[in-house]
Amino acid sequence: MSSVASSPGVTRGGGLTGRPRSFSRRVADSPWLYRLASVAVVGTLWQLSAMAADSIFIPTFTATAGAVVELIARSDVWEAFWLSNEALLFGFVSSVALGIPLGFAVARLRGIEPLIDPYLTILLVVPMAAIIPLLIMSLGIGMAARVVIIFLFTFPIIVVNARAGVRQVDQNLIEMATSYGATERAIWRRVLLPGSLPPIMAGIRLGLGRAVTGMVIVELLLTPVGIGGLIHESRARFQSAELYGVVVLVVVEALILISIARALERRIAPWARGTALSD
Amino acid sequence: MIEIKDLSKTFPARGKDAPVEAIHDLNLTIRDGEFLTVLGPSGCGKTTLLRIIAGLEPWDHGSISIDDKDLRGPGPDRAMVFQSFALLPWATILQNVAFGLDVRGVSKKRREERARELIDMVGLKGFENRLPGQLSGGMQQRVGLARALAVDPEILLMDEPFGALDEQTRRLLQEELLVIWEQSRKTVLFITHSMEEAVLLGDRIVLMSPRPGRIVDIVDVPLVRPRASAVDSIEGSAEFASITSDLWQRLREMQTFRRHHHQDEPAA
Repeated sequence: MSSVASSPGVTRGGGLTGRPRSFSRRVADSPWLYRLASVAVVGTLWQLSAMAADSIFIPTFTATAGAVVELIARSDVWEAFWLSNEALLFGFVSSVALGIPLGFAVARLRGIEPLIDPYLTILLVVPMAAIIPLLIMSLGIGMAARVVIIFLFTFPIIVVNARAGVRQVDQNLIEMATSYGATERAIWRRVLLPGSLPPIMAGIRLGLGRAVTGMVIVELLLTPVGIGGLIHESRARFQSAELYGVVVLVVVEALILISIARALERRIAPWARGTALSD
Repeated sequence: MIEIKDLSKTFPARGKDAPVEAIHDLNLTIRDGEFLTVLGPSGCGKTTLLRIIAGLEPWDHGSISIDDKDLRGPGPDRAMVFQSFALLPWATILQNVAFGLDVRGVSKKRREERARELIDMVGLKGFENRLPGQLSGGMQQRVGLARALAVDPEILLMDEPFGALDEQTRRLLQEELLVIWEQSRKTVLFITHSMEEAVLLGDRIVLMSPRPGRIVDIVDVPLVRPRASAVDSIEGSAEFASITSDLWQRLREMQTFRRHHHQDEPAA
């Protein structure tokens, strides 16, 4: 990898002359214009097809937008979100706290991998929706059950990315450290941990997505509390705009969380580009 | 002084591959302060030899002693420069150069001071706070060299350090290496597959041949020292040309010998 040291005179998109870009150029280059444009396009298509369908089950874009505004004003909606997110918090944090060390152990200690690997694969691959009723029978339907299920959704991807993170550290760096007299502990501290940070952060970001999915699915299948409860309710009362509205809010929450995770990723590991297992 | 006696190393069989005898009965004495280049085709064991001396690789038979003490793993008396540079991508140049000192527990103030000295010596002043990814290949290898020199080793181990660089950068760095070395006169073990490089830099050239890895000959390079300021005239000289072409003959013979020899061998 070799790149010439950047010089301060050249700005991105400045082209051959190196002039700073004009305002209109910067607007054209910025991703926000395209994001707004694509939302506008989707919104319009949605509105038109919903109006054409004219069905009680398909709310229009404007109706949904209105519902979102109403929902945000309701305190029971915030309570529901808080209840669901409590489980998300516990499930996600415990996944990360347990998953990263396990991933390290599997990467570095030979014997463990064949023991752990089958279970990881199963957890990643099995359709959770089918397994959840099974888990309910043993765990009941309280907070504990929801936390455990969110944990099962999130844990394997954290482990897998932590393991991959350690594995993808350049062997030359480990050798270099050894040649300069680093002990196993020093190699961990100075090479393996910093080196595996980018994939670990990516794993956290992906795990977050899965955790949110788990959070909602559990409530839909299990017990109508929190967000799942709101969805149940809206469906039962044929309030389709409200239903879509709740879904939009969940999506927005997930996007916010994932953006935070991405920003953290960039701050913590500025030297890396896209090293996640599945992006 | 490094004394190597009857050194042998075999890499065990892996899957269907047969075991590889990387080094066979190797005897070599490396004198203090000499610049020894090791030349040979791929698979001749030169990198393995270097790694063994660095303490990264165990060996099967024979003895190695440095200044009459048996070799036991890596040590502060040796430092290595890697073909792939092996810089920590998340650390600044300053931190990278200070790495060896950091591992040894040197205080932050002292190691940064020392690192800055060396960064200046290799001509990278001003780049202390950059990341390796912002530097060109030649600059990165200068960092690698600075890092090795920072721990003030008696022996510098260089594993085809300029192999990954373009020719112009290589030539510049060869010259710079000579300048730096001529100031400190450390013992250097320099692996290369380039004859010109081996002759230009070395006092003696160890010629190795593969299968099994062994020393075929040790060639003296009678070119005058210091050479740093006269690189161009050296490379143009008749003496340089004759030593280089002689080496090429030997290397060529190795290949021909192998080709004929293999016709009699059963399929590996």
